[in-house]
Parts: sequence; structure tokens; C-alpha cells
Amino acid sequence: MLPVLPALRELLPGGLQRGSVVAAGDCSLLCLVLAAGASIAGGWCAIAGLPDLGVVAAADAGLDPGRLLLIADPGEGWPQVVASLLDGCELVLLRPPARPSAQVRRRLEAVARRHGGVLVVAGDWDGAQCRLIVARQEWTGIGSGHGRLRARLVQVVADGRGAAARPRARWLWLPGPDGAVAVVATGIGGLGIGGLAGRDGETGGVASPWRGMSAG
Amino acid sequence: MSKARGAPRRVLAVWCPDWSPDVPDAGPEARAFEQVVAAVAEFCPRVEVVRPGICAIGAGGPARYFGGEEALARKITDAVAALGIVCRAGVADGLFAAQLAARAPPRDPAGASAGTGTPGVIVTPGVIVTPGATPAFLAPYPVSVLGVPVLADLLPRLGIRTLGDFARLPVADAANRFGVPGARAHRLARGLDPRPLTPRQPSADLSVHIDFDPPAGQAEPVVFAAKALAGRMQAGLAARGLACVRVQVQATCADGRDITRLWRHDGLLSALAVAERVRWQLDSWRASQDAGRSDAGRSDPERSGPGKRDPGEASPAGGIIRLRLVPDQLVRDEGRQLGLWGDAVISDRVARAATRVQAMLGHEAVMRPVLAGGRDPAEQVTLVPFGDSRAPLLPAGRPWPGRIPAPAPATVYPVPLAARVTDDAGDAVTVTGRAEASAPPARLSAGGGPWLTVTAWAGPWPVSERWWAAASARRRARFQLVTGDGNAWLAAVQDGRWLIEASYDLTVDATASC
Repeated sequence: MLPVLPALRELLPGGLQRGSVVAAGDCSLLCLVLAAGASIAGGWCAIAGLPDLGVVAAADAGLDPGRLLLIADPGEGWPQVVASLLDGCELVLLRPPARPSAQVRRRLEAVARRHGGVLVVAGDWDGAQCRLIVARQEWTGIGSGHGRLRARLVQVVADGRGAAARPRARWLWLPGPDGAVAVVATGIGGLGIGGLAGRDGETGGVASPWRGMSAG
Repeated sequence: MSKARGAPRRVLAVWCPDWSPDVPDAGPEARAFEQVVAAVAEFCPRVEVVRPGICAIGAGGPARYFGGEEALARKITDAVAALGIVCRAGVADGLFAAQLAARAPPRDPAGASAGTGTPGVIVTPGVIVTPGATPAFLAPYPVSVLGVPVLADLLPRLGIRTLGDFARLPVADAANRFGVPGARAHRLARGLDPRPLTPRQPSADLSVHIDFDPPAGQAEPVVFAAKALAGRMQAGLAARGLACVRVQVQATCADGRDITRLWRHDGLLSALAVAERVRWQLDSWRASQDAGRSDAGRSDPERSGPGKRDPGEASPAGGIIRLRLVPDQLVRDEGRQLGLWGDAVISDRVARAATRVQAMLGHEAVMRPVLAGGRDPAEQVTLVPFGDSRAPLLPAGRPWPGRIPAPAPATVYPVPLAARVTDDAGDAVTVTGRAEASAPPARLSAGGGPWLTVTAWAGPWPVSERWWAAASARRRARFQLVTGDGNAWLAAVQDGRWLIEASYDLTVDATASC
């Protein structure tokens, strides 16, 4: 297993299964946070197909820029590039330039299993062992003409196959006020969101935890 | 040796002003200078690279062969100019004077022939100082050209401003007063050489090769031999205390064709890693051969038979008869000290993967980020190709007042997206010279995308950067905007136009789809 940040441990118990594929939706910061655990543990990460990535945000999320390879444009032969990267890096974050065929998907899944690397896909991937999506989000600290962006509350829902089959939802600071990811403490704004959002599978009726928070 | 002992040799120096003196020795600029060295080596194989930008050859023999020093200088400058590189050549007694002659400002040729210039100086694309005239040529130069900071500071305060003044001091006094560096500088000022020219050993001397008889039809035996060969090359370099920046792998086929490619080495590749690069080179060449052959087979049906042969079975060009490893750009091996901890050590596994991707996509395709300073999100990262080392453009760890506070945006557009921002009435929002918004922003369209409702905003925050330099001066007013879809944007108004500099989350595709 590859470790994940403490804030994600409830969503991904045990971490990321080596040799697996994780689909992380379109939220680029969520992908970065997934990769940060492996980077902090001393592993190398490669990011392919995200030419506009904010490296400062990645560093704030916990990725070590010294152990990061950026391949802005993996080009036509991207499956070969990703296979080579999986050979050298613990974790490869990929946004596929095109929708992969079933054959390409199976080949890359086999490469990941052989080398024990984790492929995190920014976007969707049929047959991913684990899926994470951002269900809701709201920024705090900014008003109408005053304040500034300070932090964002997001509700992340994780589901997957096998042991990860039951959907789990958690409220996270993504990013928190210092750029890092953190679990939202229970009881913010007088609402026991830990009691509501904390129950497994309850993704629908979660009350907004930032009610009553003052902007800024 | 016909010359008097200690008399400096005639030296021709080639100076290319495009390379600045502070170029690092092993960087890409140094690599680019290799083509100049190669052009000069056509005239005389023993080229000394003083630094990237300046190289020198002993002028005696080549000048006799090419019909005089002036003709030689002209031929060399023409050859380098044919590469599209500006260069000048100078000839004088000794390397120091030759460098100055190459860099001497071109004087009016008519004036020189009329004898108004320094006697004994002939003007060409550079300057040619006739034998024996070097002390007179050097005399007017300020002492700072000696490149000894202590003397450059001290001598003018003693009233010695030019090399001529310095050369007039008695030798013993100069050595007594200024020590070894002073004695060395005094020899330079008198037009003598502090040390003889040490031409770079031709790289071929350190190259190693192995012959295959019968020709190796498959890649495996060649790769296996390459491992032992690389070990021999490494041992040969280590015995001289050298390391090479690049290694050239040259495989010769039975039909006489050469497969040549340069690989970055930096003294870090193990024998196994060199062998692996030989395999990649043979694989890619074989793939291109097979592709070419099947194309040819389509046009010529008779040749379609061999085109279907298993590519791993036999080499198309009759097998490899010789494999040769040539160390390139030799540098002194200074070893590598790894950090005790906290240092990002690149393991062989990662380096192999990165180099392999570079072989597929090109050197610049695999980047490593270095955090830098700056106010813009885009400025705060410098990307360095894997294998190179480069300092960030702007130093990190300084305060940079006015930079956007944390959290940092997750998507930074290298070229800002054009955007449109309107108020409730549908009029474009503008910012006054006193940094006040004309109206609260209500709707945003980023990069030609659909209109999004602005639910929260902050700004404008004015930034006026580098107002003292007209070319890079920039005045911007920044806003943070949160839109109805939950995304947050870093926008700016510059010259009346709205730009999206960064987005706090979504990627480009997502903006197009939502």
C-alpha cells in the first residue's frame, strides 16, 4: 500500500493499493493531494498531461518538487510514456489526452500491477479500483468586494470495487488556510457535521457545515 | 624546437561574443559551443577550449599550411560564420594576448595600412599582432584585463594603470611585492606565457571500441559487449581523473553505415546504464529501419519478403561489425557528494524512466520544477529539463511584497486566458487609475467559455512591477472571483483588458465543459 495524507485516511482506509488505478475526477487539487502521501513517504511522482499545473499548490499540498517529474505533453504515444514512468515512479498522475481504448487501459493496468505503482487519473477511467469525486464545494473568506480566498470546504465521496465498495463521504478543507488539506473539525458553526457527514454512505442529506461562519 | 626556449608560441584565439563569461561549463550553452570547436578543429585538431565562447589553437603549423596567419584567421571566421555564429579571430604571441587580439575592437583597415595604428598590427576580422609586437599591443590595456581582482584594485592606486606601466617594473620587484600571482601577471603583461598552451587531448584517444567478427546480427551480444566496453571507458577516464559530460555511441554496420547518437553522461552513468542506452539506440534505429523497409516494400514488391522478417532475428544492414564509445566534453572528475539527508537523490530507476521518456519525446519533454520567487503564480516556478541543473530565475525565500497570498492556485496558465467581466447591467467592469472598480463584477466568461455568475469577489489589488524598465514594466489590478459553479479564479486587469491568470481548481477542459 502507498500511504496517503492523514486527512484522507478515513476516505481511503489503508492508503492506495499498489498496482491499482484511482480515478479522481476533474478536481486537480484532489489529484495532487492523493499524490502527496506517496511523495512525503519518499516516493517519486510523475505528472503527465497537465501542462497548466500550479507547482506551488502542489508543493503546498505536500508534494516534494525535488521528487517530481513533469511531462507536459506526453504526445501521441502517451501509453508508452506512462508505462515507462510507472517503471520508475511510485505514483503517476495522468490526464489522458484522449479517451483510452479498452486495450490501452488493460495494458496500463497490467504495467501498474507489475511494477507496483499507482496510476491516478485526472478524469474518469472505466474499471478503476477506486473513485473519488468532489460532490460539493464552497470557498470561505471572501465576500462581495472584501476579504480574500482563504480556504475551501469540499465534500469528497469515495467509492470503488471490492473492499472499497461502500461509498464514503467526508468534509475536507481542500485547501485549508495554509494550503494543506485537513479534515473539517466537528461542530463548526454550531452544527454537528461530524455526526451527519461522518456516517458512511450518507452523501445526500448532509447539512452545510459553514452556515453561520462569517466571511473573512 | 627552432624557437628560443620560453618564447611564447603563436596562438590563434576564436572569440564568440554570444557566450557570456559566466556560462556554466556543463550547461546547454557549453554544449552549443561544441559546434564552433568542431568547426575550428577542421583546421587544427588540437583545440583548447578556454571557456565556452573562447577557444584557441597553436597558429604556427596551420598558418604555414593555409597560407599565412591572416588567411587562416579569415578561413576560420568564415567557417564559423557559416554556422550562423558571430565570431572573431585574433593571433598573437601567447594565449592571453591572442584572446585580447580576438576581442580587440576592429580598427579602420585604411588607418592601419596607413600606419597610424599600433605598429606591427594588421587588422582582419580580428586583430593579428605580428611576432614580437605583442608587448606593444598589450601596453595600452588597463591592468584589470589581467583578471586578478587584487591587482586590478591595487595597481591603479600605486599609479600603475596600464599593462605597459606594469611591464616596466623589474621582474624581481614584481615578484617580491605581489607574490606568485603577481609574477604570473607580470609575465602576462610582458607578452610571455604564464603556462604553455595545453591543447585538449583529442577525444578519440580515450574512446574504446570492440569489433564483432562475424557481424552481430542481434542486439543482445552488442548490448552485452557494451557493458564491458563502458567499464573499460570508465576505467580509462578515471585513470586520468576525468569525467565526460556526454558519451557518443557509434555502431558501425557491415554495409558501412554508422548509427551515432550522443547521450548525456555527466560521469554518473554506470556501465549497465551505458549498455542500456546502446540497446535503446539500436532498438529505435531498428524500428526506423523496419518502418522504412516496409514503405520501400510497398513500392517495390520484390523487397516485401525481407520486410516481413522478424525484426529481432537479424539486423537489416548485415549486422553490427564495430561498437565504439567516445567520451565527449571531458571535464575534471570532481566526484559527487550526496547530501547526508533531505537531498532528493535520483535513483537509477527514476533516472532510467526519465531518460527513456526523453529518448521518446525529446530532452525538454521531462521537466523538474524548482520553486522560485516572484509575485505572479507563473513566475514562482522554474522548469528545468531532467538532467540539467539551473538556478531559478528569481530567488526564492525573499519576501516579494504584493504576491498573492496562500492558498496557491492549482492551475496556472503560462499564457493568461482572455476573459470578459461585466457588471449587473452588462457593461464591462473597468478599474480606475486610483485602483477602484467601476462596478461590482457580476458575470465572468473565461477564455471564450460560457457566462458564469460571480458569487463573491475581492479586489482590485494593484501591482506595478519593474516600472524602471520599460520593456518588462507591468501594471495590473488583480481580483479573486468565485463563480456559481464553485470554482475560484485569479483574474487581472491590464491595459483595460481582463485576463485569467490562474484558477484555484478546475483544469482547462473543465472550463470548456461547464
